[in-house]
Amino acid sequence: MTGTGGSDPSVPAVQLTGITKRFGGIVACDQVDLTLYRGLVHGILGENGAGKSTLMKVLIGLVLPDEGSILIDGQPRTIHDPLAAAALGIGMVHQHFSLVDQLSVWENVALGEAGKLDSSGVRRRVAAISEQYGLDIDPEAQVGTLTAGLRQRVEIIKCLRRDPHILVFDEPTSVLTPEESEQLFSTLREVVAAENRAVVLVSHKLDEVLHATDEITIMRQGRVVDRRPTTDADARSLARAMVGREVSLRSERAAFGLTEIEEAADVGPEDGQAAETVISDEPVLRIEGVTVRGRRGGARLLDDISLDLRAGEIVGVAGVEGNGQRTLGDLLSSLVPLDSGQVVVNDSVVRTGAPGAMAKAGIGVIPEDRHDSGVVLDMTVAENLLMVDPHRVARHGVMDKGQVTEAAQQMIEEFDIGCSGPDAPLWSLSGGNQQRVVLARELAADPDVLVAAQPTRGLDVGAIEYMTDRLRQTAVDGVAVLLISSELEEILELSDRIVVMSRGRIVGELSHDDANLETLGLLMGGSEA
Amino acid sequence: MLIDFFSAVGDVLSSESTYINGALFAALLAFAATGEWVAERSGTLNISVEGMLLSGAFAGALGYHLADSVVVGLVFGAFGGLIIAVVQAQMSHRLTADQFVVGLTLNILIVGLTGFLDREIDPRADRASTVEIPVLVDIPLFGQALFGEPWPFYLLYGLVPLSWWLVYRTRWGLELRAAGENPQSADVSGIDVNLRRRQSIYYAGLTSGLGGAYFLFAQIAAFDDSIIRGQGFIAIAAVIFGGWTLWGTMGGCVVFAGALSFQLSLQGLGYELNTELLQALPYLVTIGTMAIFARRVRSPAALAQPFIRGLK
Repeated sequence: MTGTGGSDPSVPAVQLTGITKRFGGIVACDQVDLTLYRGLVHGILGENGAGKSTLMKVLIGLVLPDEGSILIDGQPRTIHDPLAAAALGIGMVHQHFSLVDQLSVWENVALGEAGKLDSSGVRRRVAAISEQYGLDIDPEAQVGTLTAGLRQRVEIIKCLRRDPHILVFDEPTSVLTPEESEQLFSTLREVVAAENRAVVLVSHKLDEVLHATDEITIMRQGRVVDRRPTTDADARSLARAMVGREVSLRSERAAFGLTEIEEAADVGPEDGQAAETVISDEPVLRIEGVTVRGRRGGARLLDDISLDLRAGEIVGVAGVEGNGQRTLGDLLSSLVPLDSGQVVVNDSVVRTGAPGAMAKAGIGVIPEDRHDSGVVLDMTVAENLLMVDPHRVARHGVMDKGQVTEAAQQMIEEFDIGCSGPDAPLWSLSGGNQQRVVLARELAADPDVLVAAQPTRGLDVGAIEYMTDRLRQTAVDGVAVLLISSELEEILELSDRIVVMSRGRIVGELSHDDANLETLGLLMGGSEA
Repeated sequence: MLIDFFSAVGDVLSSESTYINGALFAALLAFAATGEWVAERSGTLNISVEGMLLSGAFAGALGYHLADSVVVGLVFGAFGGLIIAVVQAQMSHRLTADQFVVGLTLNILIVGLTGFLDREIDPRADRASTVEIPVLVDIPLFGQALFGEPWPFYLLYGLVPLSWWLVYRTRWGLELRAAGENPQSADVSGIDVNLRRRQSIYYAGLTSGLGGAYFLFAQIAAFDDSIIRGQGFIAIAAVIFGGWTLWGTMGGCVVFAGALSFQLSLQGLGYELNTELLQALPYLVTIGTMAIFARRVRSPAALAQPFIRGLK
């Protein structure tokens, strides 16, 4: 490791000049310059698709730039692969794709290093790092069993273990709770100030960039549009630079993660059509005393949960990630059997443990992990739209190509799905449009209940706005909506009623009027202690 | 009829030769399956193991022919397997040709090539000397089978634990497993996924080649292009049977070898049964056990999926 190379603070740790990268006809990065100094946190702000990730992949050696030069500590370098980047002291905390589920925490941390495998040494080091930075983790745990928040912890430890002097965080808070994010940023400050590293924070959330950085580069459509010290920046001007126009919509505010209470005061479900919603008295979905045990050890993932959902209402499920929300979603997708209690839809008990039983009973689900269980990336848009219910376009089990195209085209138009046509492979769509495919498919089945698990995760401003409006409209149309989300803003904005989950239990229920960030935070945190 | 059947089974089970034959086949399978297990843990389904065995057997005969030494024969055998491995690995994990097409083609090619060379060179081989472990060899029924074998047999006692240690206790093994479970993550972590896969195939080539040569020196002592007869595929089945754990794989080798030996003993003891049906028995056992076991176990997540950098 070249740890001593750049102790002179006037020499930039990283200097990227004129970086250009094209993928086919698309220019992901267009003549991008970026300079990073030691001891400073540099924020890179931009919407999804602005070129932030590609730029960072260039730095980490996953993508070779078509043009441009890279200086590390003043020396020109070519970075062919992640190992070369690591040798130059560059480490990255990835958003996806760096952990192996089937390996344990310590094995993942050891992955990609060189030399003899010293398991007890790695375990000790994991323990030391987790103590030093307050990142509590069990080194023996299998990564696949961990929650998103914990997995990220492993990712961070894996990165810090190599003691990089240039550290890149790619959208680090997209899976964290507000408290976890707060903790991460204080960690980040420590790492930079005390240990003189250069840190990059890639984000599309304004408040965290404002909160945690010293300098901000704003990217839009592959170009750098602005660069300024954080002290000269405010949320509005950053937002304007980022999207290229004035920001006023509340969904945009949510997308940027703005949490200032005074700004949030002028929005709420009172304005717009939410007030027209008619909520029936009879519950459509009744979850009665449901308990689900985990496979190993028998810990209760859901512990005696009871919840009623009525037609036309949106019930938000809040809570720190990993407290049973995912299991609740899985239960309503027929993915896990329950150990006791029952689920009742329209007065009939749903058989659990049978694939598709919940869907047949009238429950539609927008799953938490789109790629994992929402869509098949290699199939076409039409196939993805129709795969849950192909009977309406098939005769005697044979799909009618004409009907398929027609039905898909209709859904594409209705939900304004941006794609080249029904035959476009799903991977060619943006995340927001993939999510529209899921939504269109679930709503096409005409469900009585719609479960939306983290429906806006990873989406950009426009897509979030669309999802939010659609969910609200769905409730107005008389569907009972269960919104499971770790974005408190989203829950507060949409829900008529909010329940808070902790350790598999419902620890509190609030009406929309009683709920605010503070009361929710207290419930989420108070029961945790 | 039923009594006949039970007495036949009894006769077979109380015959020492059943265990000796069983150990012979189990060892052949174990040499191949150990390497195949390593290869599959890295995410490559290496079906050319059949060809590796055959190539190893021929190269073993050639080595003995040239140097008049079983040791040289075994070394030649290992390299004979390695040659097939290099072709398989370079084709499927550098040029990204379909690994099954490459493997099938190699298997067929090797039958023809070794048959041709056998006729041209006609290598002369001999049996390896037998080493008996004192006391243990006197255990009734299976003492001879486990402790009175031709000496290359005992290499397994080192090879199998070594393979386990390599996969679970070394950095190479960790990276190999990561490549088999999640190649994208492995790549991001700085591991050359296809290099690890190629290396794991080389390993399979070495052990399978050794296995082929062992079989030659342990039993027939003369090369014939039909000596392997699908044992390579049964070794692949043993890996699946074992749920991609090494000890389970060894268990699979014993079960399948047992079925093979059972059938031979039945014939040897003079029981009149349809020979073709009997010969099908080991394969029926293989299919039957696979139907029971295959769905209970989890394979490496990226098994048989080619990895190309930058995709997805």
